[in-house]
Amino acid sequence: MKQLIIRLLSFIYPMAKRGLHRFHGGIFPKSYKSLSLKHPIVSSPIPERLILPVKQLSGQKIDWHVAVGDTVQKNQCLISAAKENTKGIIVPIHAPTSGIIEAIEMAPLPHPSGLNACSIIIKPDFEDRTLENVLNMNGTRPETPQQLKNILLNAGIVGLGGAGFPTFAKLPNQTGLIKTLIINGAECEPFITCDDVLMQTQAQDILKGALMVAQTLDIPQIVCGIEANKPAAIQAMQTVADALTKSNSTQIRIQALPAAYPMGGEKQLIQELMEIEIPAKTHAIDSGLLVFNVATFAAIFKAIHLGEPLTQRLVTVAGLGLKCSYNTYARIGTPFITLAQAGQPKQPIQTPLIMGGPMMGFQVADNQVPVIKTTNCILVQPPEPVQATVMPCIRCGDCMDACPVNLLPQQMYWHSQAHEFDKVEKLNVFDCIECGCCSYVCPSHIPLVQFYRHAKSEIKHIHAEQQAAELAKQRHEFRLARIEREKQEREARIKAKKAAVKNQAASAKPEPKSDPKTSGATTPAKSAAMKAAAARAAAKRAQNKTSQPAEKSPPLSARQKAIDAAKKQAAAKVGSKIAPNKDPRTSAKQAAKKAAAMAAAKRRAQNNNEAELTTKSTTEAKMDSKTNHSETSEPSKLAINEKRQKAMEAAKKRAAERKARQAQQESS
Amino acid sequence: MSSLTPLSSPLSSPFAHSNQSIRRLMFKVQLAVIPALLVHLYLFGFGIIIQWALAFATLMLVEFSMLKLRNRPVRPFITDMSAMITATVLVFCIPAGAPWWIIVSGTAFALIFGKHIYGGLGYNPFNPAMLGYAFLLLSFPVQMTQWTAPTEILDYSVNFTNSLHLIFTGSLPQTALDIVSTATPLSQLQTGVSQGQGVTESLNPIALEAQTHYINGSFVNGFFYSTAQFFSLNSWAWVNVAFLIGGLWLLAVRAIRWQYPVGFLSSLTLISLIFYTIDPNTYPPVDFMLLSGGTMLAAFFIITDPVTSSTTPKGRFIFACSIGILVYVIRTWGIFPDGITFAVLLMNIAVPLIDQYTQPRVYGHK
Repeated sequence: MKQLIIRLLSFIYPMAKRGLHRFHGGIFPKSYKSLSLKHPIVSSPIPERLILPVKQLSGQKIDWHVAVGDTVQKNQCLISAAKENTKGIIVPIHAPTSGIIEAIEMAPLPHPSGLNACSIIIKPDFEDRTLENVLNMNGTRPETPQQLKNILLNAGIVGLGGAGFPTFAKLPNQTGLIKTLIINGAECEPFITCDDVLMQTQAQDILKGALMVAQTLDIPQIVCGIEANKPAAIQAMQTVADALTKSNSTQIRIQALPAAYPMGGEKQLIQELMEIEIPAKTHAIDSGLLVFNVATFAAIFKAIHLGEPLTQRLVTVAGLGLKCSYNTYARIGTPFITLAQAGQPKQPIQTPLIMGGPMMGFQVADNQVPVIKTTNCILVQPPEPVQATVMPCIRCGDCMDACPVNLLPQQMYWHSQAHEFDKVEKLNVFDCIECGCCSYVCPSHIPLVQFYRHAKSEIKHIHAEQQAAELAKQRHEFRLARIEREKQEREARIKAKKAAVKNQAASAKPEPKSDPKTSGATTPAKSAAMKAAAARAAAKRAQNKTSQPAEKSPPLSARQKAIDAAKKQAAAKVGSKIAPNKDPRTSAKQAAKKAAAMAAAKRRAQNNNEAELTTKSTTEAKMDSKTNHSETSEPSKLAINEKRQKAMEAAKKRAAERKARQAQQESS
Repeated sequence: MSSLTPLSSPLSSPFAHSNQSIRRLMFKVQLAVIPALLVHLYLFGFGIIIQWALAFATLMLVEFSMLKLRNRPVRPFITDMSAMITATVLVFCIPAGAPWWIIVSGTAFALIFGKHIYGGLGYNPFNPAMLGYAFLLLSFPVQMTQWTAPTEILDYSVNFTNSLHLIFTGSLPQTALDIVSTATPLSQLQTGVSQGQGVTESLNPIALEAQTHYINGSFVNGFFYSTAQFFSLNSWAWVNVAFLIGGLWLLAVRAIRWQYPVGFLSSLTLISLIFYTIDPNTYPPVDFMLLSGGTMLAAFFIITDPVTSSTTPKGRFIFACSIGILVYVIRTWGIFPDGITFAVLLMNIAVPLIDQYTQPRVYGHK
């Protein structure tokens, strides 16, 4: 009833359609989906060369299974994450066809940055010799979540909807954590139809894949959301779902969703299907939901059922610049331009191609960039806005009405323009999903999303700087503490020497007034103190040797050892040396404080260590030499400790004497 | 890589646009004024056309020179139609027979001190038209309150040449009359009430006038007045109805947001209903409040100016409601017959505060 009223109302008031869906705002751009739906799926030819960018993350090692000149077969594993990567999120790459590794070199990456990345270049032999069932699967679903995760890792499956996060890393380790498995078939971006086509042709694979995941992880319910503008896909999925529910206990629900952008956003889809909001700063999985794109499920099914890794995907090649937009099974690594040329461009392609849809896609820096696992669309020419002059913001609030996250885009723009990034952050800019709704509706044609991206990176930068400043402050405080400690040590040393000299003199001509007991006690104490002083000086020298070079190269374990040693010494010395002058309790407190500060500094240094692990290899040599150095000074330290203890005892005795004397004087 | 295509500087997503623009938005607002313009033309004569032409000439001159002085591109800003809205609102606010220098100085003040001084479109804290009107009202109170009597009272339609003569010389040709002016119902009411008359007595003469002209007027006039009689509306009320029609169209095409008219009119209705129920003899009835002065003009064309009003949905509503209450307060207890100008300017100052405290809940936040 409500829907009918809204539909009728939308004839005179088009934006009434916003009442049909649950998330805030949203827009209704012209879909252009029929462009590529008109034509059948083509299997794209093997290109002249395939470019496979190797994702590299700092601190994560990669095992190379091939070298330049090797002959590879289709589905052969080229690289994989090294075994020692414990939290690795690198998935293996498999050869999309047979051929020779021509080169391993830097090549442009399909990424907004336009950066180059190390890539494996395969020159195909056009024979397409295939390794069957490389994953050694017997076609049955895995028993435990861990097994499933291993299969997904080995098959190189990542989220094919766009984020590209490794699928195995998203899965929980235990069963029963997930209440609902969501299949994302919304595909709300204009032009893109690859998911639509996939659902029409491979509904079996998608739902069986989903069922396997659901059964392995013990998920009772599967919900699939598809936008209502894909009736054929809904029909196909519903038919398969009906057949599958008969033979399985898992509930499968196919739900038609009102067509609105950005329905395919994970949080928006969840809001629509489950009527819940994912709390800020948590993930869907924390709310017992697991969301994957339809293509991901199809890939999972192929991996489990056929033992086939992910080496090709369905890509939409579309745009107003093409005579014939189409969907194709493209091998990963196919250059964009090859696919675009196959669509019979109206004019020679001069402008950069766009990876993704017109709303969230980005222009590639070079049209030779390859199809990667997350490439769902190659857009040849988006619809150009008629008027492109950027005018000032008139605060009309259209952006706010369109925002699916209910942010205040206009205010965020205002503050980010004024470089008031703290205020932008306060307006929750990090909740922005960069869907582009605000820019789409802006009557002033302000590139709002660009401002938020900039603000986000600026804020991150500011936070990093703040952390660095904090670290520097800690270091400075530690340095001051060290200088103070050294000063006290020096004073104490001098005092001890003076006392020794005095005592010597005293023992040479015994005083009549002095207690024989005390003089007897001071003589051994004196000699012990002298020895201790000498030992301390030696230790000091050794310590200086170790600590000075360590400070120059910060993130090393040698340095930590030195700090540890210094800390112990300091704690001991401060305790012993200050005791005669001050109340022992306060000095102990100070020592504790210092120790805490140093421990904090050490922790930070450790963090630094992790960040700079990449430079490990270069510094390893240095490290070795330093550890050797500290080892050599180890035995002498032990000796020093003994002596120091003696000295401490002596000092305590002296203090007791002095107090006794004072008490005597006061009483007399 | 072999064939590197020459690429332009990278553009950021989205690559699609709704093709909405400021000019289109402002053009819609301009179109929505047409019903009111026609009614005004019919009821008050050709004065408004001349005033509008004067205002247009002034705004072109001012915009051009200000943009040149500010070293800004002239074309995109002079064609954005935003100054046109300012001028249009101002034209409807001043008497149709006011001397030419009124509208010229008012428009110039509104644009220079209301807009350009703050940095142009989008940066002005005050509604430029209302600033211009306040300037005129405070500087030239006599000229600003001498409204040309509507045809229904005068039984004399001021034609084009006569209007021209009136505006440029200050008198009508071929008549013994020096100036034909009357008090607006609002000021009439105010004078009446302040002199101790009841609301009904103060408002009666207009209705009586209308009746006489129903008998004497031509057929078309007769038809119109019979309709007017049916709804018992005076000329000012008819202009208000015309604004209401234009405003409803603006709502349908999303040029303005519903919070403004709904908030403003409902708060004005509510407060006048309360006071009218308490003492019908001192306080005017609700329909009179809603259809006199610039109520509808304000509801759909003045307070809806996005630049100077609140941006959050709740904020817009609060903003509009507060203006409604302030308008009633100023109309009833203030010294000015119509309080829209000062109510709007007062609330403009409060906008940053309102915006601060009416931020919507972001997805996923409690």
